Amino acid sequence: MNNTAYSLRRRLIWLVTLAILGVGLLSTVVVYLRAHHEADELLDTQLAQVAETLLAIATGGKLDQFVDSGGEQSRRHAVPIAYEIWRETAGAPERITLSVGHGGFSLPVAAGYSNRVHRDKNWRLFSVRDPDSAYQVIVGQRHSARDRLARETGLSLLVPMLLILPLMALLVGWVVNRALRPVDALAQSVRALDPAALTPLDSASPLPQEIVPLRDAFNALLERVSVTLENERRFTADAAHELRTPLAALKIQAQVAQRAQPGGSQQHALGQVIAGVDRMTHLVEQLLTLARVEHATDTAPAAYDAAAALQVSCEPYQATAAQNRQTLERDADPGCTPLLGRTWFEIAVRNLFANAVHYAGPGARIRVTLRCGAGRARLTVCDDGPGLPPAARASLRARFARGETEAEGCGLGLSIVERIAQRSGARLTLEDGLPRADGGVGLAVCLDCPQALPPPADAGTGNPDAAG
Amino acid sequence: MRLLLVEDDRLLGDGLQSGLTQAGYAVDWVRDGEAAVAALATESFTALVLDLGLPRRDGLSVLSWLRARQDSTPVLILTARDQLEDKVRGLDLGADDYMLKPFDLDELTARLRALVRRAHGRPSPTLCAGSIVLDPATRRVTHGGDAIDLTLREFNLLQVLLENAGHVMSRRALEEQLYAWGDAVESNALEVHIHHLRKKLGNDVIRTVRGVGYAMDA
Repeated sequence: MNNTAYSLRRRLIWLVTLAILGVGLLSTVVVYLRAHHEADELLDTQLAQVAETLLAIATGGKLDQFVDSGGEQSRRHAVPIAYEIWRETAGAPERITLSVGHGGFSLPVAAGYSNRVHRDKNWRLFSVRDPDSAYQVIVGQRHSARDRLARETGLSLLVPMLLILPLMALLVGWVVNRALRPVDALAQSVRALDPAALTPLDSASPLPQEIVPLRDAFNALLERVSVTLENERRFTADAAHELRTPLAALKIQAQVAQRAQPGGSQQHALGQVIAGVDRMTHLVEQLLTLARVEHATDTAPAAYDAAAALQVSCEPYQATAAQNRQTLERDADPGCTPLLGRTWFEIAVRNLFANAVHYAGPGARIRVTLRCGAGRARLTVCDDGPGLPPAARASLRARFARGETEAEGCGLGLSIVERIAQRSGARLTLEDGLPRADGGVGLAVCLDCPQALPPPADAGTGNPDAAG
Repeated sequence: MRLLLVEDDRLLGDGLQSGLTQAGYAVDWVRDGEAAVAALATESFTALVLDLGLPRRDGLSVLSWLRARQDSTPVLILTARDQLEDKVRGLDLGADDYMLKPFDLDELTARLRALVRRAHGRPSPTLCAGSIVLDPATRRVTHGGDAIDLTLREFNLLQVLLENAGHVMSRRALEEQLYAWGDAVESNALEVHIHHLRKKLGNDVIRTVRGVGYAMDA
């Protein structure tokens, strides 16, 4: 997502490889020097042995090869060589000379390299024969001496490796730390986030490819949390406004009543106090309902008579509707039950119907229908009131929004229904309502929810159940 | 002594109108921002009591419109929003005072008196001319130490004249300050009140400036 991103994996691979290469080169140099030194000593020792052997041959094998005649420091690498020289005379091999100390190998000894156990010791033998002169030379070394040499050489190489290992660990540690520094920096900036102002993490700063998706996901989360927080903040501010205004009215009206002369104006003010308490009561009820549908779970969507629920929910406002000379039509498909617990269904119907009664205006026609089809149940409350232009419909969904109207109400009804819709997988839409005599249209509020059960095969539509 | 009350809440507006009227003000109540602008464009008020969350035109917009036309009418904001930035914004836009709902009626009237006093650049809470002393807070008038009984309109008329002592006030300006819309005003009501004031305080207290209006000497 930005061109400054680099791969943490690639960077680690590169840096660790470089570190290993560096340490490898260093250890190669050290090993080379050590090996060179060992080889020097070994070859020097061999030179000395060859010289001594030749001297022994020249003197007829009188020198004791197995007695340490050197005494120098380099002789610790001595791997004594035992030798024998045979000559075949008149068909029978005869030992001409042999080194002292090994007691002589018995023939035959195969030409070339071979292994042999001789006097309970393991020997490595080499034999060469000159067919013309019938001479056979056998040389041998004890395996234990060779093993000791290999052990010593190996040990002398192990020491520098052991010394280099901590250096290697330090280097790799440094490399990993360095490679992971952006992760630390990111953690630091997350830690430094102010919970009150969740600003997204800087997306311009270079980050490894592997971390970029994490940061982007984190920023997306921050944004969602910010939106939620902002909504909550706005709700608190709105709720403060909605609660304080009626409280202010109550207090002022009470003070006016207290000061007024008994009679007209005092009666008026006291009446206003009572009206204010009623309004506060309604507001508190609505806020509690909203809190309930925000946090509680719906009653189990057991089968219930939705048509009866529809009727019950409209009842509280039928007197007001009658006062407003409004006509009410109610119609439910038989056996049609939305996948919505009875409690929430009734709350939804009650609020939508109350809105229609309050805002459709006097003399309006209000129609409440519940229709089933295609696996969905649709609750519609429509009227032929003043309606609402499509542009204004969205803003009406905000909590405490009342629209540009003179009617009293706390503006929570639609929010409550919307919340019910969100929590139960339903969809709330505002559409054109019933046509008015003057050619305009009223408002229709529709709640589309999944249907609890498919309707019986013989279910028809219609069966109007008019009231009001 | 005439207030423009801008409040969309019916219950609160009704209570404020009653309460402020009890306190001696002539109160005009409008319920949205556009109506407030229309009223302010044509008439003058002693002070403006302004709610912020208004339909059609926001209270802050009304306020900035008012200040943009160099109108220095004292403005007291009523609001339910208690966030600091809301207060700061209101004051920065030219409000003179700020009250958080719910509030006390007595505090509101006291703050309105202070606003009017400051608007006239007067250090003392009482108004004096000669031996006449008017106390807006207690709504009492003394003349040479003796308490004088005045009706509501007489008191308000005297206060307007005292607030503008040294200036000639036209009949229209005086009537605008005394009567709210819908108050029944007889054509010679002002002359009747002036006559009563002269009777109670002395003939030479209020001067008639022929063809212009009335004045009191500072």
